Amino acid sequence: MSEHDSGTDRDADAAPAAAGPCTELPEGWAYDAEASGIGVLPVDMFRSIGKPVKRREDRRLVTGKGRFTDDFSVAGQLYAAMVRSPYPHARIRAIDTAAAQEAPGVLAVLTGQDALDDGLGPIPHNPVPSTRFDVKLRAPDGAMPFIGPHLLLPVDKARHVGEAVAMVVAESRAAAEDAAELVEVDWEELPHVADSLDAMAPGAPQVWDEVPGNAFVDSAFGDEAAVDAAFAEAAHVASAKFHVNRVTAVTMEPRAALADYDPETGRSTLYAGSGGAVRQKRELAETLGLDPADLRVLSHDVGGNFGARNRVYVEFGLVLWASRRLQRPVKFTATRSESFLTDYQGRDLNTHVQLALDADGRFLAMKADNVSNVGARCVSLSPLSKGSGLITGSYHIPHAHLRARAVFTNTMCTQAYRSSGRPEVTYAIERLVDIAAEEMGLDKIELRRRNLVAPTDMPYRTAMGSIYDSGEYEANMDRAMALFEWDAIPARHADAEARGKRLGVGLANYVESSIGTPKERAEITVAPGGQVEVVIGTQPSGQGHETSFAQVVADMLQTPVERVRIVLGDTDKVSLGGGTHSGRSMRHAGTVMAMASADLLRKARTLAADRLGFPPEELDFTDGAFSHRDSNQTVTLAELATADAPLFAARTNEMHAPVFPNGTAICEVEIDPDTCRIEITRYASIDDVGRCINPMIVHGQSHGGIAQGVGQAMWENCPIDAESGQPLAGSLMDYGMPRADNVPFYDVGISEVLSPTNPFGVKAGGEGGTTPALATVTLAVLDALRPLGVRDISMPVTPERLWQALHAAPQATESRT
Amino acid sequence: MSDVTINVNGTDRSATVEDRTLLVDFLREALGLTGTHVGCDTSQCGACTVILDGKAVKSCTVLAVMAEGSEVRTIEGLAEGDELHPVQAAFCKHHALQCGFCTPGMIMAAVNILERHGPDIDEALVRHQLEGNLCRCTGYHNIVKAVLDAAQQTRIAAE
Repeated sequence: MSEHDSGTDRDADAAPAAAGPCTELPEGWAYDAEASGIGVLPVDMFRSIGKPVKRREDRRLVTGKGRFTDDFSVAGQLYAAMVRSPYPHARIRAIDTAAAQEAPGVLAVLTGQDALDDGLGPIPHNPVPSTRFDVKLRAPDGAMPFIGPHLLLPVDKARHVGEAVAMVVAESRAAAEDAAELVEVDWEELPHVADSLDAMAPGAPQVWDEVPGNAFVDSAFGDEAAVDAAFAEAAHVASAKFHVNRVTAVTMEPRAALADYDPETGRSTLYAGSGGAVRQKRELAETLGLDPADLRVLSHDVGGNFGARNRVYVEFGLVLWASRRLQRPVKFTATRSESFLTDYQGRDLNTHVQLALDADGRFLAMKADNVSNVGARCVSLSPLSKGSGLITGSYHIPHAHLRARAVFTNTMCTQAYRSSGRPEVTYAIERLVDIAAEEMGLDKIELRRRNLVAPTDMPYRTAMGSIYDSGEYEANMDRAMALFEWDAIPARHADAEARGKRLGVGLANYVESSIGTPKERAEITVAPGGQVEVVIGTQPSGQGHETSFAQVVADMLQTPVERVRIVLGDTDKVSLGGGTHSGRSMRHAGTVMAMASADLLRKARTLAADRLGFPPEELDFTDGAFSHRDSNQTVTLAELATADAPLFAARTNEMHAPVFPNGTAICEVEIDPDTCRIEITRYASIDDVGRCINPMIVHGQSHGGIAQGVGQAMWENCPIDAESGQPLAGSLMDYGMPRADNVPFYDVGISEVLSPTNPFGVKAGGEGGTTPALATVTLAVLDALRPLGVRDISMPVTPERLWQALHAAPQATESRT
Repeated sequence: MSDVTINVNGTDRSATVEDRTLLVDFLREALGLTGTHVGCDTSQCGACTVILDGKAVKSCTVLAVMAEGSEVRTIEGLAEGDELHPVQAAFCKHHALQCGFCTPGMIMAAVNILERHGPDIDEALVRHQLEGNLCRCTGYHNIVKAVLDAAQQTRIAAE
C-alpha cells in the first residue's frame, strides 16, 4: 500500500469527509474500456448472456457420477482419525500413544511434537483483508494484529473443544477410530471463556499469553467529533444492543481430504474440496515446507462451501504429511459431529448501535461498537471488516463513528459465512430503523423512504468511506412491496386473526459489498475442431460456473455455448486464481475472460487478415467468423487454429474496486399465540445483482440464500454452555435447519442496475438472499407480537424464546385474554 | 465378517464385509457406487437414501447384513441408458440442484414418493415427505417444483 493511495484507503486515523455523492473517484475505480484493452463490449451481440441456460453440471450430478472428495479412493489407502480435545481450554502435559500404536491395523500415531520435529509450521492464514478498499483493522497499538499461530496439532494447549491434538492412521476407518480412543492425553484443565464480551472483562481467562485482555484488534473509523455534535443536536436518539448468533455452514458434504504420495517423483496429490485449490496449494506447501511444484491439489465437485471451505483445515495438512511419512495414500473424512465441532463457523457479533435523527426523522449520525468473536485463533477478519464498511446500510447518514474489535475466545474459529459480516450489520441498522420509527411514531416505510440513498447521489461515499457504485434503492423497495402484495396486508391480517393467528411483516433494505481477492487469470484455447477450453481459478460449489462462464466466453467469441468447456480445480492446470468467495467469481472471472477473449480475437484477426488478404482493421467478426465486405470469403476461429498452433490467449487481471449489490426483502409470518409456532407464509425480494448472466442460476442463489438467512433467524444456533464450555450443537439432532416443510415458495425478482466498475456491469448474486433475511424474519416476528407487548427478541426466534418473551411482556396477561 | 449378497440395480452383488458395515458403506466402499452419499452420522440428512425392497430408506440406518437377499435401487440404476428418469429430468429442468451432494438421496426419495402416492400429489405432501432430506443450496423451492412437475409429466404420460 503506497502512501499516495491513502485517499481511497480507510485508515483508522484518517477521518473521511461527510457522506454524500462521491465527486472525486479514486484512480482505477471505474472500468476503462480503452485501458483494459477490451474496447466497448458488444452488448447487442449477447446471445447467451442473460438467458436461463440449463446447467451442464447437472447430468453427472443427477446420475450419481459426481466427483466429491470422499468418492475418490486410491489402492492401498489408509485412514486417519483425530484425537480431539474434550475441554475448551487445557494444557497438554503429555500424550501417551503406546496403546494406540499397538492396536490392530494401526500404522502411526502422530502428535504436534512429531510435526515440529519434521519441520512443519503454522498454516499461513492471512486474515487481514488487503485490497485497496478494505477497512484497515489493526491491533490496539496500531500494529498488524497477532493472530495466534495455527499449528496442525498444538503442542502447548488445546484452546477449544474439538481441537485435534493427535492423529491415528490405520488400515481402515473403523480401526483408526477405535485406536484414537486408546490415545491417553494428560490434560490440565484451565479456566475458559466463550463469550466475546466476557473475554474482554478484567480477569478473564487468557487464550493467548501474547494478547492480554484477548482483544487483538481495536480500530476506530469515522469522524467522532462530527458524530458527537450531531448527537448533541438530535431530536431523537435510538439505541440498541444486539448479538448476532453464532452459526455453522452445514455444507451437506462433510469436509474430506485424500493425500497420495508418489515416491518416484516426490510429488503429492491432494484431493480436497475447497473454495479454491490455488490457495490450498500455496498455504499447504508453506505449512509442510514443500516446493509448491511438488504438490497438486484437486478440487472437483464441492458439496457446498458458504465460506467454510475457503481457508485451510488442519486435517488437509495432516493427511498430506502422514502420506509422505508412511509413503501410502491417507484419507480423512469428517463425521458430521466433527463438522459441528470444527468446521469454521460464522457470525457471532456483539453490536451496540445508536442513531441520531432530527424532528422530521432525517438521519443525522450513527455510532456503532462492534465486537467480533473470532474463536481460538484468527483465521479471517473478513466478517468484521466487511461489516465495518457497511454499518450505515442503504441510508444517507452524514456522519458515523465505529469502534471495531476482534476477540479471542475458547471456541472454534469463525470465518466468512455466507455474506460475511453483512447480514450482521444489516440486522443492526434495520432493527434500529424500526425502533426509531416506533419511538418517534413514524411509519417505518416512510422513515426508510425519507433516508434511502438516492440514485442521483451515486456513486455515493458513505460516512465509513465505502463508495457505493450504483443502485436504485427506493425502486427496489417499491418493487419488493408490489411483489409482496403489500396493499393486501390488512386483508391477510384479518384472515389470520380469524384463524386465531397473529400476522407480522418485516421489511429490510440491504446493501452489501463484494470485494474478494483482487487477482484472477483466464487461459483460453480454441482447438481446430472449434472446441474452446477456458482455464480459470475460481472454484464453484454449486454456483454453476461451468455453465455461466461458458455463456460469457461463448458470446465473446461468438460461438455456441455447448462448445465452451470450463476447466477448474486442478492446480496442475490452474496456476493462479482467487477462488470463490465474497461474490467475486462472475465479476472477476467474467472480466478477465472477456479480456483474454479480446486478446485471442486480436491474434485471430491478424491471422485472418493474412488468410483473407485484407488489413486486419477492415475485417468484420460475426458468428465466430471473420469476413470482409468486399469478399464472400470467411474464416472461422476453428479454421484459424491448427493442432500445432491452437489459438491461445492468457490474461491476468487485478481489480480492486468493490461493488455493492443491494435490494429489499420482505417476510410475513403467522404465529400461533398458544403454541408459539411460527410459520413463514410469504417471502418476497428484489436483488440488484448488476448484469445477470444466467437468471435461472441467480434465482436459485436467491432461494438458497434466503433459506440460509431464515435458518439463522429461526432455528440455527451454536450455543456454548457457559459453565462447561461445551458446544451444545453437536449433530443435526440439536441444530435446527431449513427443511422442505418449514419454508415457503419465495417470490424473487432481479434488478439489473449495472456497475460502472467492470465491463459487464456485474455486481454479485450469491449472497443477497441471506443478507437481509435475519432482519426480515426478526422484524416480522416483532411486528406480530407488538400488540402483545413484546419489543425485543434475539435470534434464533424459537417458539421457546417467543413463549418467554410473551410471558415476560408487561401487557402479556391482559392482551392474551 | 459376513458374506453378503444384495441385488443392486438388478444385479446380484456379493462381498465379504465386517458385520458392523452399514448398507451405505457396502454400496460405496465394497461396490464403488459412490453416487449414494454420506452427509451425517445420525440419519438426519437423507443424502444416503436408496430404495430397499420398494421403500425409500436411509442406507446409513441399515446394516449390510440386514439387506441380505434384498433388492436395492440406487441413483446409478435410475436412468435407462441415456434416458433420464422423469424425476432426474425434472431436477435438471427446474434447477433443483446446485452443489448436487444431496441430489441423489433427494431424487431417490422423490421417486419413491411417486411410487407410493401416485402422480396425484400436492405441494404439502411433497414438502412433508421430503422433510427428512436436507438441502443447503436450493431453499427447496426448485426441488418441490421439480417433484410436482415430474408428477405432472407422469400424469400426462398415463393419459
